[in-house]
Parts: sequence; C-alpha cells; structure tokens
Amino acid sequence: MTATEPDSPIAAGLVLPRYTEASLPRRFGHVLLRFARRQPLSAFWGVIAALIIVVAVAAPVVAPYDPLRSDFRRMQKSPDEKNWFGTDQIGRDTLSRVIHGSRTSLTVAFAAVLLGTTVGALWGLACGFFGGRFDIISQRIIEFLQSFPDLILAMAIAMALGGGLGTVIVAIAITRIPFGGRIIRAVVLSLKEMAYVEAARGLGASSRRLMFRHILPQCIAPYLILATTHLGVAIIIEAALGFLGVGIPPPTPTWGNMLADSLNAGLVPPWWLVLFPGAAITLTVLAFNLLGDGIRDMLDPRLRGAV
Amino acid sequence: MFSYIVRRLAFGALTVLGVSIVVFLIMRILPGDPLTAIFGPEGLTKLSAEQRASLIAELGLSKPLIVQYGEWVRDIASGSFGHSFFRAESVADMLQRRAPLTAEIALLSVILSWVVGIPVAIVSALRPNSIGDNVARVISILFLAVPGFWLGMLIVLGLLFGFGYRAPLAGASLLQDPQANLQIVIGPAVVLGLGQAAYIARMARSSLLEVIREDYVRTARAKGFPGRRVIFAHALPNALLPVITLSGVLLGFVLAGSIPVERAFGTPGLGFAMFIAVNERDIFVMQNLIFLYAVVFVMLNIAVDITIAWLDPRIRLQ
Repeated sequence: MTATEPDSPIAAGLVLPRYTEASLPRRFGHVLLRFARRQPLSAFWGVIAALIIVVAVAAPVVAPYDPLRSDFRRMQKSPDEKNWFGTDQIGRDTLSRVIHGSRTSLTVAFAAVLLGTTVGALWGLACGFFGGRFDIISQRIIEFLQSFPDLILAMAIAMALGGGLGTVIVAIAITRIPFGGRIIRAVVLSLKEMAYVEAARGLGASSRRLMFRHILPQCIAPYLILATTHLGVAIIIEAALGFLGVGIPPPTPTWGNMLADSLNAGLVPPWWLVLFPGAAITLTVLAFNLLGDGIRDMLDPRLRGAV
Repeated sequence: MFSYIVRRLAFGALTVLGVSIVVFLIMRILPGDPLTAIFGPEGLTKLSAEQRASLIAELGLSKPLIVQYGEWVRDIASGSFGHSFFRAESVADMLQRRAPLTAEIALLSVILSWVVGIPVAIVSALRPNSIGDNVARVISILFLAVPGFWLGMLIVLGLLFGFGYRAPLAGASLLQDPQANLQIVIGPAVVLGLGQAAYIARMARSSLLEVIREDYVRTARAKGFPGRRVIFAHALPNALLPVITLSGVLLGFVLAGSIPVERAFGTPGLGFAMFIAVNERDIFVMQNLIFLYAVVFVMLNIAVDITIAWLDPRIRLQ
C-alpha cells in the first residue's frame, strides 16, 4: 500500500497528493469526473442513488398525499390515475408511502453503516496497531459476533431493545462491526511492515504519530469501500426487520412494514401492495451496490472479494 | 490433520460457550416486562404485586442471572430446551416438528446454488465479457439486490393468480407424504438457492479466471490435454476452494433468510416459529432458537474449515 505502487489509492486518483492550488469543491468535481469516465455504469447507478436520496429528502414535497392519511372512500383500490400505486386496506396512498419509506430506509442504512463501520474500523485499527493480548481478546469477541447470521443477530438485538429508529440502527450497526474490524486490522498489519512506517519509527516517531499520521490515512480508502458496499445489505436487513415486525413500529411507513401489512390484508395480498415496496427496495439496493462496486474498483481493486 | 481438527473443535467449543453467554445477555436486557408480553398491558394492571412476584418467580426470572444461566445450560444439556411462554409444547417438541422442514430447505437450496452457480461461472469464465457472461453478471447482480422474502411473495402471488395454485399450508413430513412435503419445501428452497447462486457464480467466476492464468493450467494445455479436461480436472478443483468457504458463510444467509422467506411462503418450519416467537416476545423460545441457529452455523463452518484443510494441505500446515 505504498504511494509508489501504480494501483495505490493515490495513483487511482481519490487520495490526492497535495494540490495546494485547487479549491476543495473543484478537487471534488475532478474526482467525480474521473469516476464517471472510468466507471460509467457505476456512475449511472450513482446518479440513480443520488436521485433516490433527493426523493427521500424531499419526500413531503414529492409525495402526492400524506402517507398516514386514510381515505375511507378509497380503500384497497388498484392503481388508477388518482393513486398511481393504488391504496392499502385503510385507504392510504401506496406511492406516498413508498416515497416516505425511502426516508426511513436510507436514514437507517446510512446511520447504521456509518456507526458500525466506524466502530469496527477504529477497533480494527487498535487491534492491528497494539496487537498482543488486546488483539487476541478482540478477535475472539469478533468471532462470537460473527457466529450469528446477520439478520438473526440484528433481530435479537432489535427485539431486546424494543422497536424504534434508534434501536434498529444500533442493531444493524452491531452486525457491521466485525467486517470493519477484520479488514482494517488486516490492512494495518500489512502497513506496519511497510518500509516507510519502519523508517518513521526509526526516526523516533511516537506511536500516536505513527498511528494518526502514517497509518490512519491509508485506512481511509478501505473504510470508504466498506461503508459503501455495506449500504445495500443494511437496507435489506432493515426491510427484513420491518417485515418480521421487529423494525420501526407502524404507522411509520417503511418498505418492510408495508410488505408485512400487505400479508395482513387478507388471505391473498393485493398485488400492488406487494410489488411496489419490494421494487423500491430492489432498485435502491441495486443502485447502492453498483455504486459501491465502482468505488471499490477505482479506489482499490485488490479488495474485490474481500468486502 | 488430526491436530488441526482438534484445534478447530476446541475453538468451536469456546465459540459456542461465548455464543450462549451473548444470547443469554441479549435476551435478559429485554426492557419489556415478560409479564406484559404474556398478559398484555391491560391484564398486567389487574395483577397484584404479589401475583406478579410469584409469576416471575415461577418463570424462574427472579433468580440471580448466573443461576438462570446455569439452569438454561442444564435445560440444553438435558435436551428439553425449556418451554414456550404461550404454548404447551416444549422447544424440543417444536424442533422435532419444524426443524426437518427448514433443514430440507437449507440443504436443497445449497444444492441448487451449486447446480446453478457453478455452470454459470464456468461459461462466464471461459468467455469473459461475451454476451453470455454479461447476461449472467447482470442477473447475478440483480439477485444480490432482490430481497428473498419479496421474491417469495411475488412467486406465491404469481402462482395464485396465474395457476390458482397454493402450496399446502399444513406441515408434511418427507417420509409420510413426500409429494406435499416437496410442494412446501420447493418454493423457499428455490428463492434461497437462487440468492446464494448469485454469490457462488460471482465468486467461482473470479476464482476460475484467476486459476486459468496459472502456469500449471498453461502447462496442462501445452501438454495437449483437451480443453474440457484442463478445466474440469486441473482448474476447477483449485478454483472451487474459495467457493466452498463462501458456501459455508452463505449457510448463515440461508439460516437467517429462512425466517422472512418462510414467513412469505407461510412455510410451517423453524423460521416461521422464530417469526412467531419474535412477535409474541417469547424470550425463552427466542433464546433457544437463536442459540441453536448460531450453534448450527458454527458447526457447519467448522465442517467447512475441516473440509478445506483436508482438500488443501497448504492450510493444514499453517
């Protein structure tokens, strides 16, 4: 991971070596442009992901109706020109609910991945850096966490803490910790052997300086890759938790809740209540997955398959 | 090899112990009063303080945590796994009735994932960037994004509207009524199998592409072996090692995924029992099922590690 390797983050163009003259926004623009040129497919899906984020942020403006208001004259209507995606059992507009559902979904996904990956990465950094008994004990703890399938662990924690936005975020974040911990630890271990770190140590750099000045910056690329590749999984786990009834409690519209509700509509769920929320999940996960793949290929192709 | 197995099993035992403690602690920090779950918020207010205390004591929840943990371990060791809050049957009975279905689903889905994933990967890797390869990649990317339970709901709906068909809802054992059993199992198995197949195909493709470039594969070609033999006898066995490991990891995906997928299909398996227990806040059943799922997952991964070590001496000798 030295700066001299041709496929290092610096050469790949994201971790820029000191451009003192360029302003930050312009630098950012350059990076985006280069990304679009190298990974056109991912850039396209990145645009879709950005659109989804915009819709989520502007949900009250974009949604045609209030997602919580029931219209009892129009209950369980199939899609028509008034309600494009139809209405549910108590006459709420499905399109508005899908749009508002994106808010919850994205909030949970971003918060959980940010929290989980950051905690995991810092933990992995400490493990790799200090080693010794701390590392051995930490590895055991991470192994315990990894012996639960993701969804089951998230389900148990969400159930134990009681439903709600915060608990769902924490539950999903905890399932993301081992990934950050393992990968960042491996990166740090390989960095520690690098000649430039040895040299810095030989020059008498303190361990704090070594950690923050020489090792931490090299962990940023893997950290970003981890965070983006786990967004999709987080969205799916959030939807599954909602579907199983341990997510964010109704009436908050989330995609998982909507799918669970559709099964309560009677023996045969109306097709529009099943199709649209699920399609929203699929589209969002697809967009974030492909964007993540592109970012990974650009920042560090060697991590392919590792995260 | 023997020392490797012993070491791996010892680590496994330690992991199972840690897992049991983690599960126990998670289930005991439940902030809701278990009595609220049993009697409902209204029923709870009708109970006097003494009644509540005696009920809690009856459930064994007033004892110190360490004693409760000890009793749970004893229950597990005796094979009864304790009782449900709401149902007369013990968790052991529930397992006996429901576990075979979920086990069948898991096994069938793993077989399916290999049967679909590996041939796709071979076709893709032999002609990278051809039309077939690109189609396979697009489909696998799509399957990585589709939530299994949603796909399940769509299949149920599609069959219902298209053919007026619905899989039987009552449980049927493989031996007594194989036809009904197959109808129940096939839906969840296909959904979970295709989900895994996407991962398997992707991993096998990149692994094969790497192996095909190795010197020994070129040597085999240079010696004049037919292409098919080079792929199947020389490249594939090595390329499949990481796929076996991945398959072990994906088993966790199947075990966990079976919960929402069984809910979507209405399959009367263990996953559905987990769904019911979660919604009833039945902590005893949850505690035992989560523990069991984790233990099965740990054991399968040990089995996978040992298989890999048996197949690949490089790992054994580390």
